[in-house]
Amino acid sequence: MGIGLSIAATGLVLVVAVYLVAVLDLVLGRLVAAAPLRLAEAAVRPVRRGALLLLQRSPRTERPDQVLWILAPALLGAIAAAVLFVMPLGPAELSPGSGMRQVDAGIVYFGALMALVMVAVYLHGWAPNSLFPMVGGYRFVALALSYEMPLALVLIGAALPARALSVGAIVDAQAGLWNLVRQPLGLPIYLVAALGAAFRGPLNVPDAPDLAGGTSAESCGAGLLLWELGRNAVLVAAAAMGAAAFLGGWRGPLLPGPVWMAVKTLALVAVLLGVSHLIGRVRLERFVVVAWAVLIPLALLDVFAAGIVALLAGRP
Amino acid sequence: MTGAAADALFWLMAGSAVAAGWRVFRADSMVRAAYWLMASFVAVAVILVLLAAEFLGLVLVLMMAGEMTIMAVFMVMFMMNPAGLNPMNMVHQHRAAIAAGVIAFLGLAGVGVFARFPSAPPPSAARVTADVGHELLGGSMLIFETAGVALLATMIGSLAVASRRGRFGPADDGSREPATAPAAPEATPPESEHAGHAGMEPHGGMAP
Repeated sequence: MGIGLSIAATGLVLVVAVYLVAVLDLVLGRLVAAAPLRLAEAAVRPVRRGALLLLQRSPRTERPDQVLWILAPALLGAIAAAVLFVMPLGPAELSPGSGMRQVDAGIVYFGALMALVMVAVYLHGWAPNSLFPMVGGYRFVALALSYEMPLALVLIGAALPARALSVGAIVDAQAGLWNLVRQPLGLPIYLVAALGAAFRGPLNVPDAPDLAGGTSAESCGAGLLLWELGRNAVLVAAAAMGAAAFLGGWRGPLLPGPVWMAVKTLALVAVLLGVSHLIGRVRLERFVVVAWAVLIPLALLDVFAAGIVALLAGRP
Repeated sequence: MTGAAADALFWLMAGSAVAAGWRVFRADSMVRAAYWLMASFVAVAVILVLLAAEFLGLVLVLMMAGEMTIMAVFMVMFMMNPAGLNPMNMVHQHRAAIAAGVIAFLGLAGVGVFARFPSAPPPSAARVTADVGHELLGGSMLIFETAGVALLATMIGSLAVASRRGRFGPADDGSREPATAPAAPEATPPESEHAGHAGMEPHGGMAP
């Protein structure tokens, strides 16, 4: 498989995954609300909404930064594609192509891309030159600065048993035991951070209804459609990384690697979406205190414990 | 990546880095200037990755994305311009700036022209990141890590002192924003009595 083909495959996976997120979101919303559920309706509604948004005209605000306004959702989608592009789908020697090549510093690569999410959301709030989007953008900066540290720490903890930063090596190190079991603090903290990165449910502070839609308050039409697609894509990317770092990635009996990776990623997506329907939005200042005073110490504990275990286990 | 493609990417990124760096000073807003600077650093990061310094390149992006956002927020706060949208001039003290720029350019160009750079690519099995760490810090690793922990403790300490519920009491004491409605004088005694009564009763609405 050439690099062009793997880029196309990544794009296809992303499109399918983003659609599945939209359907799952509807289904889980109905389930939580105990409302009647028709699968056919749930399957069609995201497409219908997308078509409707495409038909709407895009609004203009007074003196917006039109370029950055369009670039921000594109950046979100690019971040998600870049994460999915390097996800290992099988053992390194059997990896289906040169395109799915393993980045040696995979954890750092992921961290750098997640830091760019902050840039994308801030710019999406800043570009329309309007009050509510601006407030939403600033809110996300505070949110991102709070969740990024626990996110980085638990991923370092996941990398310690592997003694390597590449995602492939981290998956390989979970051959016997998943990091989910080995580091029980890791996945919960990671999922909180993932909810923040995808700004959904309890951590949807930048696009919150109390800000009339926050950073997308002035968005409509194709711009809004792009933004929602990008947001779903980031959710998928974060879930895929969680599946690789804590659920053993492509490892599993009987089924081939890519299928296990997809199943685990979708399971984490379902957990994240279910949580976002079950838990109400938290106040940002509360979350900042919790993140710095509770999540970071817990994540440090996770790293120390993982380090001690790795030292006791000795060199492989 | 083949030689020609890598060369093309290098020149593209080098040009982008310089062009974005120039735009930093032509932008009329602090937020735009900050993110042009980030774009310049991202182009440099791609060059670092091309040079097989993958870790350094990725860390550069990781740090700059956060740094530039924080810098933009701080600049906006200091300029008392809540949105950072008002046009402003990014160029000041022209003579000193030109002199500093020329000297910096000559210095860096001198390094580029006169220094001897290794031309052999590292073997693919080399642990580049670990080697860079040993080269930079060597035996001082423990001292460096100790300093890192000391800095972390200092940061936590300063946060604890400055935080709202620090050990010296509420940090925003005396700086709370005033209530929007004037307080006591307007409320007539019967009303305030009723309000207090209703507030204390569990079923305030049913009180006579």
